[in-house]
Amino acid sequence: MSGCQWLSDRMPAVALGATKWTPDESQHLSGCPSCREEWDVVQRSSRLGRVIGLGLEAGSTSKTLLDRLAEARVERLRRRTWSFAGLAAAAAIAAVVWTQRPVTRSMHPDAAIVAGLPMTLPELDGLQPAELDSVLQTMDEPAPADSTLDELEGFLDSWEG
Amino acid sequence: MRGRSRLLVRMSASITTQSAAPAASTDEALVSAYGRGEERAAAELVRRHVAALGQFLYSAGADRDEVEDLVQETLFRAFRRLESWQGRGSFRSWILTIGSNLLRDQFRRRKGRQVVSIDQREIPDRADPHADLAARDTEERLRQGIAALPRLQREVFLLRAQQGTEYEEIARTLGTTPGAARVHYHHAVKRLKELVR
Repeated sequence: MSGCQWLSDRMPAVALGATKWTPDESQHLSGCPSCREEWDVVQRSSRLGRVIGLGLEAGSTSKTLLDRLAEARVERLRRRTWSFAGLAAAAAIAAVVWTQRPVTRSMHPDAAIVAGLPMTLPELDGLQPAELDSVLQTMDEPAPADSTLDELEGFLDSWEG
Repeated sequence: MRGRSRLLVRMSASITTQSAAPAASTDEALVSAYGRGEERAAAELVRRHVAALGQFLYSAGADRDEVEDLVQETLFRAFRRLESWQGRGSFRSWILTIGSNLLRDQFRRRKGRQVVSIDQREIPDRADPHADLAARDTEERLRQGIAALPRLQREVFLLRAQQGTEYEEIARTLGTTPGAARVHYHHAVKRLKELVR
């Protein structure tokens, strides 16, 4: 068997010196311009750059490679350490900020009124509705929502006289 | 005493076997050994494949004075992700395709392939200056023709023509079928024939 396809499949192996043409194949090759052209391409291509490849020094190449790989490992480790340290620092700052924040709770205006309701004022219990109205009228304005107990006590003291 | 000599012989044989192990090992075994921290295995892999890689890169269009750097970068990339070589194709085919990708990135960065100057050409050792010049011209046309091939055609052609790789393995390496690899090869040959006429 020495058809063009057969020869084409055999060309790389022959060009690389792994095998040789059989007499039948040689005969086909000499009589087939298309196969000769392909053989020329394959032969030339198999040689192309061989000198350059063989000129590379394996020892120095592997030494440089191993040095670079070691550097890359160190760099990766360093980056990992720094990112871990960064995360830890960020977490510590967040914890400090969280624990030392001023405790201010915004209160809904209605909530202040509701919160004021349970406060008991026994001094007012005995008053009649009309008396209570007059007392309330004497008060200029409601105590501010953020007034403290001391301020309220002061206000009641001034009212009681 | 006889027992002692036998022990020494056995020890020396063991040492010899260990030191010869990398050269006799398969690429798979060397990759595993490197994974376990044996740097000698990496050196052996480089020794086996560096020339083929350099030849491949040059043939695919790399400048002569860039080949060494490209080889170094290709090996560096390959060894940094050795785990991604799953033994589908050969180790050599795998690193050659990494080199091809690297070269493609370089071409892209330069927005096109470089025209190779005459002093960068490979000079065959021939006595006849006319034949020498003609051969150089043909080789240069061939090299530029290979560099100008579509990526798959170029890789299939070089793996087949320079490494003698079978279509089945080329297909495994490049993630295609043996039939498609054969078609790419023949398209490449058809184009290159026109260049060497």
